[in-house]
Amino acid sequence: MRHIVFIFALGIILLAPFFGQIPIELYNLDNPTTVDYKLFWDIRLPRVMVAFFAGAILALGGLLFQSLFKNPMSTPYTLGVASGSTLGVAFAIVFGFSSMLSLFGFFGALFTVIILFALTLKLKYYETNALLLVGIALAFFYNAALMILFYLSDESQSFEIIRFTMGSVEVVGLEQTLPIVLASLGLLMVANFYKKELKLLLTSNDYAYLKGVKVKRVNTILLVAVSVSVGVSVSITGPIGFVGLIIPHIIKTIYKQSAEQLMLPIFFYGGFFLVVSDLVARNLGSSSDIPIGIITALLGGPFFIYLIMRQK
Amino acid sequence: MLQINNYSNAILQHISFELEEHENLIVLGSNGAGKSTLAKVLCGITPSSNVSIYGQKLQNIPSKERTKLINYIPAKLEIFDEYITLEEYLNLSRLYTNLEAKNILKLLGLEKLKNKPCQELSSGEQQLTMLATAVLHNAKITIFDEPTANLDPKKSRDVFSLLKGDMYQSKIIITHDLNLAYRLGYKILYINKGEITFFDSSKKFFHPLNLDKYFGSSVKKVENFIVVDL
Repeated sequence: MRHIVFIFALGIILLAPFFGQIPIELYNLDNPTTVDYKLFWDIRLPRVMVAFFAGAILALGGLLFQSLFKNPMSTPYTLGVASGSTLGVAFAIVFGFSSMLSLFGFFGALFTVIILFALTLKLKYYETNALLLVGIALAFFYNAALMILFYLSDESQSFEIIRFTMGSVEVVGLEQTLPIVLASLGLLMVANFYKKELKLLLTSNDYAYLKGVKVKRVNTILLVAVSVSVGVSVSITGPIGFVGLIIPHIIKTIYKQSAEQLMLPIFFYGGFFLVVSDLVARNLGSSSDIPIGIITALLGGPFFIYLIMRQK
Repeated sequence: MLQINNYSNAILQHISFELEEHENLIVLGSNGAGKSTLAKVLCGITPSSNVSIYGQKLQNIPSKERTKLINYIPAKLEIFDEYITLEEYLNLSRLYTNLEAKNILKLLGLEKLKNKPCQELSSGEQQLTMLATAVLHNAKITIFDEPTANLDPKKSRDVFSLLKGDMYQSKIIITHDLNLAYRLGYKILYINKGEITFFDSSKKFFHPLNLDKYFGSSVKKVENFIVVDL
């Protein structure tokens, strides 16, 4: 059954670049002079790739945050990492660093993780709820700072920020996808390298320590890896919520295995979820695309509630 | 072998003692006296510069080397992931032994539960699971925090045999079970309000005068058992 679902999902991902408002003639795809060629290779394919790898980062990042902070609600979003990244990007837009959006987004994320991590060292494991509250407080704080940036910005900058916060996987040109592809594969490799340590950390920090895991070091490396990749992802796509929360949760309830064994499925289905969301976003609206962040929340929210109710 | 030298924190005061090679120890004391706090300091979960093993400061011993020397079994099994199974959990602990996880499962009668998630085990089963991890880890010194809490009388007896046997190297056992402490016959360390008030042989501790001193008139030695008069 799992194999059938996987092949079905893979099929949808592979076919996704061929669907859109403008139909593409297949025989034009190897002819660089045609519009179809440009549409496919410069717009559709990069877009599907960005959607897939951004979804993969968000889902795997969510899984890692939940495992390391030992709380099913913690994701780079609920803990304010994405808001930090968004603020960084908005700052770059308003103060004229448009060429360095990714860099600012990345530092916004990293800054937030430093705050969170410093606090986790002070808190005990059973106080992770306090961490969530800190995340919420940070998000409010960032939101206020974002409002100040809106106030300072002119009309076109404001529009740019608003469009950014709605989330979009639009990029032009295959080379634009490179940072996000590298970030996601890098995150997967780092997480896989620490698979055994992660399994021990999934029991408790004390148990991991007693079995010889350098808890602080492994935590730091994995949290920084997640933040770097989420920072890269958010700086390209804007904040796309819900993926990091629901995909790990759904995959866990289906597979019923410990989290470290599910890194690949979560990586894949996180990507699949965003590709599908983007397909819907591209094909629903009559004239222009609906921002993908709206679709993920509209699809993900009710489905998530359904899952929770079914479990009870 | 294991030494703690003048350690104090919010709960413990001026704790110093030494555990010799091949020696075992029972730690007694009322609730909140600081027994578990002491255990966490000794195994390094609570970092301090006052603990040393074979003359080397615990905090300076490399992680891998340290796991050979000391292990701690908490009073309650703590596990975040809801799908880690009993067998997976045991295998995480299999460090310095040739024993297979399935053999220890058989020994403790937990075979049928091996694919069950640890979170779904009963508290007694969890207790046995933790004792099994200590066998598989096979550290030089193992600290047990209330190993017989949550167990029915028969399982309590099984655990007594396990602790009495040669499955573990040196043991430090924190317990409220005076009969267990008495029957094991190990050296006794008694903590009262964060201070060591007794550190000597089992024979001396279980002298009627001392029983009166530490437990009032509620604890009595009857034939070869320690009985609590309720």
